[in-house]
Amino acid sequence: MRLDVTHRTTYTYDDDVTGSYGIAYLTPRDLPWQRVVAHQVDVDPEPLDRSTDVDHYGNTATYFQLDTPHRTLDVVAHSVVEIDEPVLDPVALGVPWEQARPSVRPDVPDAWSALDLALASPSVDQPAAAHAYAATSLTPGRPLGEAVLEVMHRVHADFAYEQGATTVTSTIADVLEARAGVCQDFAQLTLSCLRSHGLAVRYVSGYLATEPPPGKERVVGADATHAWAAVWVPGGGWLALDPTNDQPGNERYVTVAWGREYSDVPPLKGVIFTEAKTSTLAVAVDVVPV
Amino acid sequence: MTVLRDYASEVGQPTRPREREGPPDAAPARYDEVVDADGSLRPAWRTLAASALEITDVQLRRVQRDIGRFLGDDGVTYRRPGEPGSRWRLDPLPLVLSAQDWAPLEVGLAQRAELLNALLADLHGPRSVLAQGVVPPAVVYAHQGFLRVAARPGTVDDRPLLLTATDVARTPAGDWVVVADRTQAPSGLGYAMENRHVISRVLPQMYRDAGLHQVGPFLQAVRSTLMQAAPEHVDDPRVVVLTPGSASETAFDQAHLASSLGFPLVQGSDLVVRSGAVWMRVFGRLERVDVILRRVDAPWCDPLELRGDSQLGVPGLLEAVRRGSVRIVNGLGSGVLENPALLPYMARLCEHLLDEPLRLPSVPTSWLGDPDALALARERWDELAVRSIDRSVDVDRLGPAELLARVQAEPHRFAAQELPAWSQAPRLAGGAVRPQSVALRTFTLRYGSSYRPMLGGLASVLDGARSVSSKDVWVLKDTPDQPDQGLAEVLAVTSSSSVTPLVPRVLEDLFWFGRYAERAEDTLRLVLVAHALAEDFRARPYSAGGVALRVLRGALLHQVPGPYDAGDGESVDADLRSVLLDVERSASVAHSFAALRGAAEGVRDQLSVDVFRAFGATERAAALLDANDHSLQVTESAERMLTGLLALHGATASMVHDEGWETLEAGRALERCLQVVALLRRTVTVRRGIDVDRHLHQGVLTATESAITHRRRYRGFVRVTSLVELLLADPANPRSLRFNLETLRRHVAALPASTGASRPERLLDDLVDEVDRTHVAELVPIEGESRPNLERHLDSLTIHLLRVAEAFAGTHLATAPTPRAFGLSGRGTR
Repeated sequence: MRLDVTHRTTYTYDDDVTGSYGIAYLTPRDLPWQRVVAHQVDVDPEPLDRSTDVDHYGNTATYFQLDTPHRTLDVVAHSVVEIDEPVLDPVALGVPWEQARPSVRPDVPDAWSALDLALASPSVDQPAAAHAYAATSLTPGRPLGEAVLEVMHRVHADFAYEQGATTVTSTIADVLEARAGVCQDFAQLTLSCLRSHGLAVRYVSGYLATEPPPGKERVVGADATHAWAAVWVPGGGWLALDPTNDQPGNERYVTVAWGREYSDVPPLKGVIFTEAKTSTLAVAVDVVPV
Repeated sequence: MTVLRDYASEVGQPTRPREREGPPDAAPARYDEVVDADGSLRPAWRTLAASALEITDVQLRRVQRDIGRFLGDDGVTYRRPGEPGSRWRLDPLPLVLSAQDWAPLEVGLAQRAELLNALLADLHGPRSVLAQGVVPPAVVYAHQGFLRVAARPGTVDDRPLLLTATDVARTPAGDWVVVADRTQAPSGLGYAMENRHVISRVLPQMYRDAGLHQVGPFLQAVRSTLMQAAPEHVDDPRVVVLTPGSASETAFDQAHLASSLGFPLVQGSDLVVRSGAVWMRVFGRLERVDVILRRVDAPWCDPLELRGDSQLGVPGLLEAVRRGSVRIVNGLGSGVLENPALLPYMARLCEHLLDEPLRLPSVPTSWLGDPDALALARERWDELAVRSIDRSVDVDRLGPAELLARVQAEPHRFAAQELPAWSQAPRLAGGAVRPQSVALRTFTLRYGSSYRPMLGGLASVLDGARSVSSKDVWVLKDTPDQPDQGLAEVLAVTSSSSVTPLVPRVLEDLFWFGRYAERAEDTLRLVLVAHALAEDFRARPYSAGGVALRVLRGALLHQVPGPYDAGDGESVDADLRSVLLDVERSASVAHSFAALRGAAEGVRDQLSVDVFRAFGATERAAALLDANDHSLQVTESAERMLTGLLALHGATASMVHDEGWETLEAGRALERCLQVVALLRRTVTVRRGIDVDRHLHQGVLTATESAITHRRRYRGFVRVTSLVELLLADPANPRSLRFNLETLRRHVAALPASTGASRPERLLDDLVDEVDRTHVAELVPIEGESRPNLERHLDSLTIHLLRVAEAFAGTHLATAPTPRAFGLSGRGTR
């Protein structure tokens, strides 16, 4: 599937911003199942300085610095991406989940680097409640694919999608307590649950095309940034799981960046110098199949 | 008997001190640094001259007192996290090591720095040590010091470690082992130099005769290494030392190192990233920075990509590093090496990375993320020290059960270490010399293409795990003709060549330095006058002198608000003592001194050591007053404090007359203006009868150091007109408002932001006009008991002066706003 993505982020301030430094993760990744056909990021006002670099996880990070006094900052990313339907090896997905823990698979070439994603990260800790929640599905010897898909189904069923139920500082325990959240919360909760059992899981940031196929229901998550999880499958790549929409990844998911958690790959973050008291944020995303 | 012989005979007894924790006969003996197993002196001490061996306990106690005075004079402090700053402690007896003692350390430390450097370069690049299983990946991935923003394919620095520290100690067999590595921003070099400086002064004979390696050349080598660390094609590199500020626990160490190296000490807010390079704000100009010796821990260095709440860093710093436009020493991310869980793998790492055997072993340590190691450690749990691999868990605060639960939940975040009995050395404490265990912090520098350990270091005297004092470390030369530090050709440090930049923060500190110094001086003079009156009239509160005293105390109370009881004669002393000593009381002398000291700490590298010596004198005067409750002590201590302040003025007068000095003097002149106006406002605006006024006017003249001038000019007859004339309008009296306005005008005009028409200059011109236009004769007429014209005039002057102060700060001391996050996008969407 070919998708055309426009992602506009606008900050408006009530006073002049005299210095602004930003980091953006807005460039989709080139992957075996995903090709970036066209891409550009425009920043207004024009930055004094900008550059791109490849980060620790292979994502493209855009840095910019601007010193033109401004009250509006506009960052627009435009991408055209071709995505294939994911093909996962049923044999690899059929291993007992215990054998999918990188710590016990030194025989698999990328196990050592996958191990990074099996550990707690700054805002994705592993409270006992998360461990217990996943234990219900991770029964001894159960095939990996089946077990983790069930965790995904349960998170979808047990947690309400509710903006404002959580904040950027909410912990995994908070989300478990509230039984509600947004896609980042569900993705990070899934990470915490599965990692606490030794599985390696990526946090993935991207977009979801929501144009409903004929005769099917409209999918939640229309025209927005999106986040999901992807589980390491020994010798078989990564299995994407979207607990928000209760489905594994497919050709409608645009992968932009991945890391340990949201804070590794936020679409845009920055530091400003200003006397302004307030700022407002507007985000608009269009994902159009072409 | 002499100290060392006493010590030798005590330590040499069969009942030598044993490991404290264990039963006396089971625990191993400690290695003694001075005395061997037979009770005779070790070779290093045998070669010391007789002067060392004959030192008596009386001499040693005197030396200890001298050390206390020197450290006080130099303002050497250390602050434990969460505690107020305390005096740095230094034991008089150095740790003396022979060339033979040192030899295994020298090769071992050089290799270790090479190994740590190679390890860091590998972890930030190919990570072969993880991929090939030399180190379990979780040892590194679980460590908070592993900065993924620094470990990127495009930014591989092959020499990220330039200056490292390694803590070593000696086992009962006398072998050196590594206890910990300090690789990110090692502290202690400044303290080590200060220790050497002090010991060389208090034990001059012993020091001269010892034939030990001087530390100076090592410092010169550090300077040279930092200069050469600059990105290529920079002819005259600018090196700065980045500090978290004077509240940092090792603020002294940082400032002392910076000034010894001749590099400016800066804070994050003094720097800015522009076009991918780092610049320093100097008088509205930006000057390029090429090398940053950092003492700020990595997470706080860049709020854009690391901790977003940090006010200590520079947004964009990582980007500048990635572009290679600035070099940070040591590299961001080097904190990953400060990990006890790496110690069990060092031998394998050395084979893997350097292809040679590890020379210097580590203290036996295991990583508890290894299930076998955890099981073994559980068997002898009480004999081991459990450590967090990255200090993210404060294990000392956890009870045994809680700690065990934490370890079992996340074993990979912990390591367990043996607790050997470290070597002991004589320490003077409580008037007696007793053996106490010691550990040694060593420093290793990349110099040219190899690593060189400093011949010397910083020894800690330990009580359990806590450092309670320090020792200078003497490494003796093998032969007298050996060059110091083995460095014959290193260039001398030319600290005069570095022009210290005056960033706005530094100017602000200097401005307040000037103001607090003047405020303390004026308050002291008023205290002296009040106390002299109290000596004569405290018993007669309704006499003319008693009333004058009350008025002066009212003026003092206005300047130094606090409890005041005008009735009781006893309370005069109590109140004056409080004005001198109560640091909590706003504008008290103690408060001004504390603020003065705070300002001075912030700009330590700008000030001569004489400034800190003056602080030492005033602190001793305050201690004396605190300890003696007789009345005369008030005057005696106040006079000593005043003497200390005058010494301080002497020290600042001999500063280079640059913008910093102009700013300091401007602050001083402005405060003097404010003080003289305030004093007049509280004293001579009311008529109290000729006898009271006689005492009062005399007191005002004495407090303003103008009594002699007045006598000479007005033949002793003090009238309000002459007094006001002398203190407000006289252009020649150094204490008058008019004189100080002129002084202020001169200093302001010398500052780069002054244009002749800047706001502070215009306000000052107006103020001078106002003073010159006013005829004193029009001010003094009386209505009832008061002088309304004088009151109005003085109030107007105060408001006008405060406006000048505000304009001055706005024009000359403006600092950048603090950075803040512009929020994270993409949150709350799907």
